[in-house]
Amino acid sequence: MPVTFTFGEMLSARSVIGSTLAELGETHDNLWVLTPDIGATLVEFREKYPERFLDVGLAEQACVGIAAGLAYDGNIPVVSGMLPFLSMRALEQVRSDVCYPNLPVKIIGTHGGLVGNGGSTHYAVEDLALMCALTNMTVTSIGDPLMVGEVLRQSMTMRGPIYIRLAVGKQDVVLYEPGEHDVRIGKGIVARDGTDATIFTHGTVVAQALQAAEELAADGRSVRVVDVFTLKPIDEDLIAQCADETHGRFVVLEDHLAYGGLATRIADVVADRGIHLTAFERLGIPQVYAGFGDDEELRDKHGYGLGATIAATRRVIAQPSWPSSH
Amino acid sequence: MRDDAAWLTGDRPSVTELEDRAFELRSKLLHLCGTYEGAVHIGGDLSAADIFTALFHYGLRVDPHDISNPRRDRFLLSKGHAAVCMYIAMSMRGFFSYEGIVETYGKLDSAYGMHPCKVQLPGVEASTGSLGHGLPLAVGMALSARGRGESHRVVCLLGDGETGEGSVWEAAMAARSNELGNLVAFIDRNRQLMTSFTEERVVFEPYPDKWRAFGWNVVEIDGHDMAALVKAIDELPPADSDRPTVVVCETVKGKGVDFMEHNLAWHAGSLGAADLERAMAALEASREETV
Ligand SMILES: Cc1ncc(C[n+]2csc(CCOP(=O)(O)OP(=O)(O)O)c2C)c(N)n1
Ligand SMILES: [Mg+2]
Repeated sequence: MPVTFTFGEMLSARSVIGSTLAELGETHDNLWVLTPDIGATLVEFREKYPERFLDVGLAEQACVGIAAGLAYDGNIPVVSGMLPFLSMRALEQVRSDVCYPNLPVKIIGTHGGLVGNGGSTHYAVEDLALMCALTNMTVTSIGDPLMVGEVLRQSMTMRGPIYIRLAVGKQDVVLYEPGEHDVRIGKGIVARDGTDATIFTHGTVVAQALQAAEELAADGRSVRVVDVFTLKPIDEDLIAQCADETHGRFVVLEDHLAYGGLATRIADVVADRGIHLTAFERLGIPQVYAGFGDDEELRDKHGYGLGATIAATRRVIAQPSWPSSH
Repeated sequence: MRDDAAWLTGDRPSVTELEDRAFELRSKLLHLCGTYEGAVHIGGDLSAADIFTALFHYGLRVDPHDISNPRRDRFLLSKGHAAVCMYIAMSMRGFFSYEGIVETYGKLDSAYGMHPCKVQLPGVEASTGSLGHGLPLAVGMALSARGRGESHRVVCLLGDGETGEGSVWEAAMAARSNELGNLVAFIDRNRQLMTSFTEERVVFEPYPDKWRAFGWNVVEIDGHDMAALVKAIDELPPADSDRPTVVVCETVKGKGVDFMEHNLAWHAGSLGAADLERAMAALEASREETV
């Protein structure tokens, strides 16, 4: 069933995963869907292709290992589950069984960031750092629910593994009209153009970055928002271009540890390519076990909410140009 | 031999009193499920309510006023998603304030949330919620007690679905290898995971035999029969014996509320005001049935 929507509406990314997999199951008879007891949204696929659906129960490690076994034999397995457990319990299977032989296993899941109010065992906050460390792994983090479908479709022709990170995936803001942006794995999306500073971001907080840019526009600030939905391989050229076009004023906002995720990857590009920045601020989760609370409250409490995003953006814009002695 | 620390003195409640407390625990759970705006893991709370009652009001040697006494029994909630059932059972034993739980559950900086957080809630023994962690932790604590010559027990409650995790069986093997007679696992055998019934996609049976094969002392009971729970606790082998014990408790997920029983939709959910009334009526009715 095709998904219908209107721009700006809420849509469940999980339902997009469900319908996209059911659609891809038709065109790819080697597509398998596996889950460790998190299959509620996979019903359509399960009913259409029961012989290519596997729910192993509470067994994340076996789930990823089995997926790798299937992939060795020419199948395209998608493992769908909760990311804290797929990225950590099954990490070695992901690394040695999937990434090492460079198999086309797709790992897609929810609970990336301080979302869902499950407490510290249930937030994947280190996952992007872990996944980016793995040779051969492509790493994505997606906020726009429709983009999830697009990325899944594109991933079908990839030779190696991909990690697809979502927030809760029940109620997601539709950020982009279809066709509005050229969505390509490995390329960033300029979600909003601007010239005073760039906010780099990914996943569920892209909406927050766009809102910050909107509020700053009210006092005459022109802020660019770049959705770096592919953290690895990262769009280096776009980063360099943003340094040129927005006076080297960067803010990085992410629902992930502030060190080890997108901010770190951008800092690496900046250092490796010798890009001159005027100011660089990172907004993300500090090194704490965050506790309970709803998403927005937790972001505010831990210093990467909307207010903090606006304040940081103002600070980088206020920073004198480099080199300031001129 | 167990020594007579403060918590050993005084009369323990009768089976009837325990049944009343289990009813109160279920009522309080439903109340939270009807008033809290988010989802509550009510299915697995209700299946474990009698086990929690038997443990916190009868079996465990714990003292709410002395939560770090080194000789206390340790309780580990491996199926951490039943946290609120544990909070309320413990509040009824004097550990926490029930009002505090109801007023702050799931809120920012609350000590009470979806999964137990030891950092914010002293009195719980470990932060759990990611399934498959409790039994290895319990083995560590039991080993330590053994090494120190202490006579307390370490008790761990697991979901049946949870025992799909390899770490459970790694710990089961270690427990037997190290002759940890001071370790007791209770399994909430409600025959449901989150999205399927057991035996449907994942075959668990012959379930008690799996534990037997790992060398454990296996006790099989109806996990809603309070007298049976009390008997299982009374008849536990001494803590200085050499085999860990597992009590496989046959239960019903959603027990006590007819529309939640055996219903995958009620792994977790929330009741509105109207459904809360309906659930309370169902709970009353099911109590009448069993009397
Ligand atoms: C490692 C891990 N994987 C997945 C989950 C999500 N989850 C929470 S409860 C649950 C089902 C557990 O079933 P069971 O252990 O039988 O518990 P019960 O039936 O008592 O609720 C799942 C999949 C989790 N908490 N931890
Ligand atoms: Mg169960």
